[in-house]
Amino acid sequence: MASEAPMSIYDAVIGTVLNAPTYHLAVECILIIGILYLIFSKSYPISSAKDALTLEEEEELIRDWQPEPLIPPPNPDAEVLRERIITGTPGPFAVVDGKRCLNLASFNFLGLVGNQEIEEAATKSVRKYGVGSCGPRGFYGTFDVHLNLESELARFLGTQEAILYSYAFSTIASAIPAYSKRSDIVFADEGVHFAIQKGLQASRSKVKYFRHNDMDHLESLLKKQKDEDVKNPKKAQVTRQFIVVEGLYVNYGDICPFPKLVELKYKFKVRLFIDETISFGCLGRNGRGVSEHFEDEKYGIKDVDLMSGSLEHAVASIGGFCCGTSYVIDHQRLSGTGYCFSAAPPPLLAEAANVALKMMAEKPGEAA
Amino acid sequence: TRSSDLSIIDGKTAVPRGSSEQNGFAEKDAGSKNLSAGSRESYEETPLFCSLTSYLTWGLFIIVAYVRTFLVKIGVERQKLREEAEKYSKGFVPLYSSFESIYTRYIYRRIRDLWDRPIASCAGARFDVMERISDDHNETFKLTGKTVNAINLSSYNYLGFAQTTGSCADAAVDAVKEYGVGPCSCRREVGTLAVQKELEDLVAEFVGMPAAMVFGMGFATNSTNIPALVGKGSLVISDRLNHASLVMGIRLSGAKIVTFQHNDMKDLEKKLREAIVHGHPRTRRPYKKIVIFVEGVYSMEGSVIPLKELVALKKKYKAYIYLDEAHSIGCMGKRGRGVCDYWGVDPTNIDVLMGTFTKSFGACG
Repeated sequence: MASEAPMSIYDAVIGTVLNAPTYHLAVECILIIGILYLIFSKSYPISSAKDALTLEEEEELIRDWQPEPLIPPPNPDAEVLRERIITGTPGPFAVVDGKRCLNLASFNFLGLVGNQEIEEAATKSVRKYGVGSCGPRGFYGTFDVHLNLESELARFLGTQEAILYSYAFSTIASAIPAYSKRSDIVFADEGVHFAIQKGLQASRSKVKYFRHNDMDHLESLLKKQKDEDVKNPKKAQVTRQFIVVEGLYVNYGDICPFPKLVELKYKFKVRLFIDETISFGCLGRNGRGVSEHFEDEKYGIKDVDLMSGSLEHAVASIGGFCCGTSYVIDHQRLSGTGYCFSAAPPPLLAEAANVALKMMAEKPGEAA
Repeated sequence: TRSSDLSIIDGKTAVPRGSSEQNGFAEKDAGSKNLSAGSRESYEETPLFCSLTSYLTWGLFIIVAYVRTFLVKIGVERQKLREEAEKYSKGFVPLYSSFESIYTRYIYRRIRDLWDRPIASCAGARFDVMERISDDHNETFKLTGKTVNAINLSSYNYLGFAQTTGSCADAAVDAVKEYGVGPCSCRREVGTLAVQKELEDLVAEFVGMPAAMVFGMGFATNSTNIPALVGKGSLVISDRLNHASLVMGIRLSGAKIVTFQHNDMKDLEKKLREAIVHGHPRTRRPYKKIVIFVEGVYSMEGSVIPLKELVALKKKYKAYIYLDEAHSIGCMGKRGRGVCDYWGVDPTNIDVLMGTFTKSFGACG
């Protein structure tokens, strides 16, 4: 069969238009006119021109607005404004405002403030490295003393790796937000100290406080969460859960029940973060903290996901550290804000902490 | 013209010596980044070819990373990299989100040897960088024990105070002998040493402000003290490229946050007017106070804040300024007093001035 000659485009288009029913053409013409009208009509913002303020009205509002003072007027008689000046070393006896007093107010648990060996090491370090580290850890601010201190801490505590921070406050306040994000859940003790509270606030996770040292309340909260997870398994698969406690509570002075916490951790599959600010150096036979203090056969430091400690209390230096498995700690080298975006600790402080740590390891239980 | 009469400004175009472009005064053009009058900064726009190839390479890295993760999942490739211990794989939710771990494993690991390089001497003009080798493709590093003596262009040693001898080092040694290394206490208890009071008075005199406080760490200064100045009901207008410590402090304070384009005073004025005239966007309540957070010299960009315009805006709109001079204190200005000295602005116009001792002063805090 001979194929038909292809229709010219002219025939195809005009032919369909002329053959279409009239109502179809009428509707299409109306639509085209409507579109052209919308394209060419003027557009107004949603808050229409009638509601916008004139320039004079704006200037008047700006003139009339009176801000509060930056801070409320201070009370000149407030106790907090009266500082007690210490001259000399704040050791067991301190000279406060000119008077020699017995010092029961500092966290000098091991008596290392004013220790000659530590001071000599710090002095030698100034003569070798200068005072400041002049750089963040990522860009040539890492000294060999920092690496030595980190490996010493890891070896002393029996963990795989440790990470060093320049300030104890920012240690836990940076560690928690590095792991716990907005959609995660944290079960924290009611009596945790201020730095942990700031870390929890900065992480923007959902925080559920349980009554201080009350393991039954914690268990009931965990059970409730587990029941909710069963109802919503997809969400539960991406929601991390953490327990944040302290080893020795700064605000209360009592010790957390470590074996029971680890038991709950494995039962409910949550991660355990222990903050050993004041327990590092003073709890446990060798000062290794709450995990050594309980001397449990089943559970030890290896069952804690993250242990954060301070070098400003028992160790009499400045700084903080976190330790745990390499898998956990290495993450903070990129995500810990207080580690990445801050200068490295001065080498003299790291060296002083190193010497103090050696003394703790070699002469446990002895007075300095 | 001979080639010695020309100077290369941006690596591409040669301009005659003595012209205004050669002196570094930028003309106001499309890429001038809102420089204020009298500024001696100039910016080179990234060439299109460079940005295209960078993005393409980045995209290629990500695709390769996902392909390799897939290969490991189906078992074609062995997982040679660090995994969590066995006891955590059953029932525990993975600690890191999938993109975080893929980025760290396949992308960051390739270039990891450029960071965290340890040094074994004072961070002065020359320092000893310790050599490292890696047998497992940058997963772990071993120190060889050898050091390379190199010129130091990377430390924050702006004025050269990082030295092992001299009056600063001697003063540090004397202070250690007199006060010990750490006081084991906070300032409110037994931690206020006489030398700290002396330092605070000296800092206030140096900067030209009535009073000063010192802290142990620059990052902690910002992140812990900003909540004391602003709270709920206040407005914070911060530069888009502010440092992480400022951002953390502002977030912790609970104030409403508005950002303006980097160093763009016109955008800042627009945001200020909007804030005062309309108040909070949803409740329409007027703000209790407005604080502008800026830095003197931005550490990532190297740009300087146009301080004169900023102070003029602050006076007109009755806002407060928090100026973070972490990098600029000590090294900007004729007398080294920071950006206020550089621009000739009276420092008492700034409400809160923050600085660090880590950079120009070679110490910490």
